[in-house]
Amino acid sequence: MSDIHTLVGAYVLDAVDDLERAAFDRHLADCPSCATEVGELLETAARLADGAWSVPPPRLRAEVLAQVSRTRQERPAPRPGRDGRSTVSRWRTVTAAAVAAAVLTVAAGVTSYLVQQQRVRDERAATVAARAELDRMQEILDEPDLVVRRGGLSFGGRLTVLTSPARDAGVALLAGAPPVPPDRAYQLWLMAGTTPRPAGVLTAGAGDDSAVLAGLSGMSAVAVTVEPASGSAQPTTDVLASVPLT
Amino acid sequence: MTDPSGARRRPDHLTPVPSPRPEPNAGRAEADAGRAEADGLLRAVALGDEAAFGRLYDLVAARVYGLVRRVLRDPAQAEEVAQEVLVEVWRTATRFDPARGSATSWICTIAHRRAVDRVRAEQASAERQVRVATSPAETPHDEVPDQAARRLEQQQVRRCLGDLTELQREAITLAYYAGHTYREVAELLGAALPTVKTRMRDGLIRLRDCLGVLGVEVTR
Ligand SMILES: [Zn+2]
Repeated sequence: MSDIHTLVGAYVLDAVDDLERAAFDRHLADCPSCATEVGELLETAARLADGAWSVPPPRLRAEVLAQVSRTRQERPAPRPGRDGRSTVSRWRTVTAAAVAAAVLTVAAGVTSYLVQQQRVRDERAATVAARAELDRMQEILDEPDLVVRRGGLSFGGRLTVLTSPARDAGVALLAGAPPVPPDRAYQLWLMAGTTPRPAGVLTAGAGDDSAVLAGLSGMSAVAVTVEPASGSAQPTTDVLASVPLT
Repeated sequence: MTDPSGARRRPDHLTPVPSPRPEPNAGRAEADAGRAEADGLLRAVALGDEAAFGRLYDLVAARVYGLVRRVLRDPAQAEEVAQEVLVEVWRTATRFDPARGSATSWICTIAHRRAVDRVRAEQASAERQVRVATSPAETPHDEVPDQAARRLEQQQVRRCLGDLTELQREAITLAYYAGHTYREVAELLGAALPTVKTRMRDGLIRLRDCLGVLGVEVTR
């Protein structure tokens, strides 16, 4: 199993960055034991506020009540009913959007999110090759000329492409895409006009993953399709997202 | 202006109801009654009851403001964020689900999140400054309503924090009271990242057991 469970304490203490929070929120939907633990530990952490009691200036009460009297309340969300599935998939889409938005604003956070993802791939993270790829990603993400572009997948999730012209390289980040069967994988393509060049097969089955993109000059777009887990030489299914590079 | 402290916080008709359970002391009973009262008020607020919101304010404002101020340090910013938090409580009260935890905890969770958001936003724009966490015992006494329940709760939290290992306690207080990420905590303490994550988690579990937090009710 993945390492992400151990993030429970940091998550409850708000000691994670936006991208880790998004990743962990997604994890909570699938992990009842973490969800239970989060409930208990949030209750516990709130008790730490007992020690911080401090009476606010009296004007705060008048200001809050005045603002409340002109603030409309949220409608109650429909409780997950017999069709829990649609709630989950909508929620996933929202989370993926949040991840992509965060990628745009928190450049430093990208690195940590990728680090986190890498950990999630457990054994792979220990391999020399994976470490080298992670170092490579960090070098690219540290470039001052980093450009961030993103596109939505046709059935949920986002493809974010971060490129450094100086390095002629980039990082593709797939977030919140629906998981595929274990014998299938998302595959990335670099498009030179209408000609695709294989640019990396992501982890089999995974809807969240990242990969280094090399040799970007002359390329017009990054595309993604679903392929057999071993990868294809040419796309065999429809392009789900295409992010222009120019 | 009305006095938001002791006198208004507990309206007469909501004095603690004697509990059917044997109580070790009155402070504990009062603390429990305060929590139950907040639950009831928040449910009324979710139905659009502004008067209930006023009473809820009196019950939780000092906790919210105190927590936000502890994290942000700056009273003016703390006031601004506390206002945002309390209005958010009103606006999103329909999301509160009593089966998943207490109203007090739900409100504190929002308050802590917003305070930390503000810290992070500040850090992103200005140069990062190392904040020094202080122990929760340091709230000036004149700001603390002299109330048995409050004092008992604070003593209990302090005692339970004292039962943690030093690393557990430092990891938790640096994150909770100073708004540091676990990466920053690791840096500050010179500890490995996995160690800090683990200490945050097992420290909170130990606190939970020490405080006797009931947490999520599994039976609905
Ligand atoms: Zn888990």
